Parts: sequence; structure tokens; C-alpha cells
Amino acid sequence: MRNKINLYVIEYAINSLLRQKYKTFFVTFILSILVFLLSSLFFITNSIKYELKSTVDSLPEITVQKIKAGRHYDIDISVLDEILQITGVESAVARVWGYYYFENAGVNFSIVGLDEYEEQYKNSFVEAVKGLDFSKPSMVVGEGVKKIMDKNYYREYFNFIKPDGTLKRVDIGGLFKGETELESNDVIVMSKESVREIFDMEESKATDIVVRVANFNEVAKVASKIKLLYPDSRVITKDDLKISYQNIFDYKSGLFLALFVVSLFTFFIIVYDKASGLSSEQKREIGILKAIGWRVNDVLREKFYEGFIVSFFSYMMGIILALAFVYILKAPLLQNIFTGYSQLKTSFNLPFVLDVQTLALIFFLSVPIYIAATIIPSWRSATLEADEVIR
Amino acid sequence: MIELKEIIKEYQVNGIDTVMALRGINLYVRSGELVVLKGASGSGKSTILSLIAALSKPTSGEVIVNGDRISKLPDNFASDFRRHSIGFVFQKYNLIPTLSVKENIILPLVPMNLETRDIEDKLSRVLKMFHIEHKENQLVKNLSGGEQQRVAIARANINNPQIILADEPTANLDEKLSLHFIDILKELKAEGKTIVVATHDPLFFGLNIVDREIEIYQGSIV
Ligand SMILES: Nc1ncnc2c1ncn2[C@@H]1O[C@H](COP(=O)(O)OP(=O)(O)OP(=O)(O)O)[C@@H](O)[C@H]1O
Ligand SMILES: [Mg+2]
Repeated sequence: MRNKINLYVIEYAINSLLRQKYKTFFVTFILSILVFLLSSLFFITNSIKYELKSTVDSLPEITVQKIKAGRHYDIDISVLDEILQITGVESAVARVWGYYYFENAGVNFSIVGLDEYEEQYKNSFVEAVKGLDFSKPSMVVGEGVKKIMDKNYYREYFNFIKPDGTLKRVDIGGLFKGETELESNDVIVMSKESVREIFDMEESKATDIVVRVANFNEVAKVASKIKLLYPDSRVITKDDLKISYQNIFDYKSGLFLALFVVSLFTFFIIVYDKASGLSSEQKREIGILKAIGWRVNDVLREKFYEGFIVSFFSYMMGIILALAFVYILKAPLLQNIFTGYSQLKTSFNLPFVLDVQTLALIFFLSVPIYIAATIIPSWRSATLEADEVIR
Repeated sequence: MIELKEIIKEYQVNGIDTVMALRGINLYVRSGELVVLKGASGSGKSTILSLIAALSKPTSGEVIVNGDRISKLPDNFASDFRRHSIGFVFQKYNLIPTLSVKENIILPLVPMNLETRDIEDKLSRVLKMFHIEHKENQLVKNLSGGEQQRVAIARANINNPQIILADEPTANLDEKLSLHFIDILKELKAEGKTIVVATHDPLFFGLNIVDREIEIYQGSIV
């Protein structure tokens, strides 16, 4: 009998919560909202971190651009052969790409040009090339791009407007699958020839050159050699890119941090309010229980159940709502804070990254703290001489 | 058997001043005795009851109940002592107004984790004994003063304690209900319970069921 859970105490705790149903409802509501906000933030942050990490991992080790007057210009393809001579360089590819502004929708597409027989610098492009018909102008497009084109009635082909005002018609050959959704969402892949035409780029030029280095430790050395050979170039290594990606992320997550702080703050106000004292009615009730033979630990156990029921229920509610909000509804509003930088405001699926650590962190930030805030003032009351409260 | 030895009880007021509520009380109540404590307001009657119930501790002196020095009991043991040995009918009843009659009465049993049948048996015994079966499921706050008192008495008796303490039991009752309370006392005394009543209601003076009247004046027995 001693080990059996005392259902009467639980029943009393539930009754006690129901007796103050408006207060209970209000606290549960606020707690759920806070848990929901916090966990939504964590879920989105985790997912995007994961996406960014995958994106950065797939970046080329070194990118070489031509710089003139501080601006980025097309680079001579002849540079490629000289770079290949540098020891340590495994391969180098001249990339032809650019941003195309689609005025009707007010969005930018990233157009990437590929050669059928060239070595591809990204795995995802190997698949993309297979989907391209190089005998005519065709392209494979990211999911976001596809949606926007559909919306504008370009189902089979798209008319690009060239710099001279004439049109270039390119057929839609298929869907592009990138390694991450952030990366592939706004991408269009087509032949280098078509890209050059759309952007009016000379045959002998490329947008930039990406270099692969065999030994990871030699990246910096190779980068400085290239810089020495071509003083008018900007040589960007993966590490540099990592930092700038991270900066974008940190800036965005500053907003999240603010939200995070606000919700924590609200939570602690609730906790403080609870911990700072019981109403005289609550004190009297504890005094009565003591006077009719409840022990201090009986009172505390009952309060524990009250705190646990409210906070655990709110925790579960908040987590479930956040899961649904982030991964089923695709986090409307919140997501834009982060994905704005791809400039393409199409929906994009957050990868489902649920780590137990996050759930545990939110649990420990909410449930035990709330329970403690429920128990501590009751404990103070319960250890007073009952005589004082009930007279 | 209840014994108070050289009891002094001081209360702290605003941290510095002390009020001496009891000034050296010696009192002996035999098992089965019905004792009335009488005296003016503020004389110390309630303080004595609260010491007997281990709801507070004397500043000096000892309270011994059935051989146990309950004035020295740690808090948890004091709770157990109250649960099993004391039925306290408070002056203001100290019921929980938003609970039903039944819930109030079985409140002392909640931490004991008894079988549901045990609880039902104990409940129906006191419901019958104090004539409130018909109000079992009503909220206490909707009851009359007399009914509330019967609920308080029923709660005090749910564990069938040996000692019953009643503080100003007739203060809020009209004469008819007061007489009814005296009938209840008779019944409890007939069951052999030790009873201490603190009151200044003359109704209790010279009653044949009362074994002794003890007058308190400014914290001392007269
Ligand atoms: N918690 C307390 N703090 C300070 N003083 C107290 C406290 N409790 C009682 N007293 C004082 O102790 C004295 C005795 O009080 P007690 O309540 O025992 O008197 P009483 O005889 O029961 O009076 P009444 O007939 O009004 O109930 C009073 O002077 C009272 O003011
Ligand atoms: Mg009194």
C-alpha cells in the first residue's frame, strides 16, 4: 500500500485546479504559447542550421572572381589553364551563372550553366545534366522556380528577356534536385551556351572559376598563389564563405534571440508571480490541511501534482503545436525571417531535424521551473505553525 | 489523558514585542472527561486547545497526551498525531467552501491512501451520526451555519479520534442549534471520548454532562 500511487491526492490536485478553472486555463494557455514559441524557434533554427551546413559543405574549396573597381566582372577562361598548372590543384572549372530577375513575380532566379562533357563541380549537377537536352534550349528548374513559372502560365517553357530586349525561349525539361532545399529552390540549370545568350556573355568569358584542391591543408597556400598570379582577382575560400553564411545566419537569429528572450522573460514573470506568494485563501487551505493531519510532504506532493499537470500538459501542447506549425504548416511568418536572403519568397520545406537535446532543453526550461515555483511558496506556508494561518 | 505542565506561551508581535498568552498553566484531563474552558475573550482558551492539538508549541512547559510528549514532536509526527488522535472543531469551522460536504469530510483521509470501501464506510458513519447525509454532494459554501458546523464535526470525527476539541462551538448558532450541539456532545461523550470545549457561552455552565468547568483569566487558571 505504501508504494501505491495515491490517486486521491492526484484527484485532489485536479479538483483543486478545476476549482480555479479560469486561472488554471489562463496559465496553461500562456505556458503553452511560450513553449510553442520557444520550440518553434528551436525547430526552425535547427532545420536551417542543418540546411546551411549542408550548403556550405557542398561549396567549392576556392572560388576565383575578377575584380575591377571593386566590382565583380567576367573572368577570362584562359586563366583556367594557368590555374591548373599550380601544384596542389586537383581540378578547376569555369562557371557560367548569374541572377535573372523575373519582373512579373518580383523574384530572382539563379541560372547555372553546365557543359555536357565537363566534369561537374557538384554532385547534384551530374543528375541535372542527365535531364538536359543539349540539342535544343532546355533547362531543369528548382521546385520554387517551377511553382512561380506555373503561376505565370509558363508550364512548358519560359521566355527570358535578353539584355538587348529580345526573347530567348527555353523549354522546361525537368525538376532540379539539389542536395539541400535552400540551395536548389531558386536554381535553374541549362547549357552554358544558353546562359551566355541570356546574360550576353562572351564565349571566352566565365562568371568565376571554382578550384578543387586535393589536400585540404593546402587550400590557403593555393589560394594565395592564385592571388599572386592574378592581382586583379578575388580569391574566396570555403572558410570565408562559411563565415559569411554564418553571419547571415547570426544576424537572422538575432531576431530569434530577441523573441527567445521575450518569451523567457514572460515565463519568469509568471514564475516570479507564483513564487512571490500565495493568496491568503491558499495559505488558509494549506493551514487547514495541516491542521486536519496532512504532513508537509503530503501538501507538497499535492502541489507537485498541480504544477506537474499544468506544466507538462502545456509542454506537450506547445511542442505538438510547434511541430505542426513548423513541419506541417511550414512555419508561416517566422520562416521568412530566415529564408529572405535567397530572395525567392517561395515556400521551402524545412528538413525535419528533431533532436532530443532541444526537447530536453525546453522541458527543463519549463516543467521543473514551474513545478518549483508552485511548490516553494507552498512549502514556506506548510512549514509555518498551522495555528497562525487558520485562526 | 491530557496533561499540561507549567505551560507558558508567548506570541511575537511585530517582531519585537511579545504577548504572554498563557502564564504557567497546569491542567489534567482524564480519559472520557468533558471539560469546559471558560473565560473572557483573549484569556487564552484557544491557545490551550491549539497546544493540545500540537498546532503550536509552548514557549516553555510540556503537553503530554496519552503518555506522548506532543509538545516536542517534530512536525510530521505532529501531523500524524492530529490525524489519528485529535478531532478539532474550529471556531470558524475551517472548511473549504468550494468543496462539497463529502469532499470536506474525507479530506483528512486523502493522504492515507485507503481503499475506497474504507473511505465510504467511514464517511457514511459520520454522515449518519451527524445527520447530514442529505447534503452529501452540496458545496459547503451553500450550507447554513448550523449545517456547516455539523460538517466540521463530521470531519473531526472521520478517523474516530479519542480526543475532541471544540472552540466556541455555539458562537455562530441560535439557541435551538446550540442545544442540538449539546446533544451531539452527549453522544460523543457516551462513546467515551475525551472532550475539551472552549467557550464563554453560559449555556454550558452547570450542564450535567460537563465534568469540570475551568476558568481562565489572563492566561492563568483561576
Ligand atoms: N498569533 C498570535 N499572535 C499574537 N498574539 C496572539 C496570537 N494568537 C493569540 N494571541 C494573543 O494571545 C491571547 C490569547 O488569545 P486566545 O485566542 O487564546 O484567547 P481566547 O480566550 O481564545 O479569546 P476568544 O474568546 O476571543 O477566542 C490574546 O491576547 C491574543 O491577542
Ligand atoms: Mg478563542
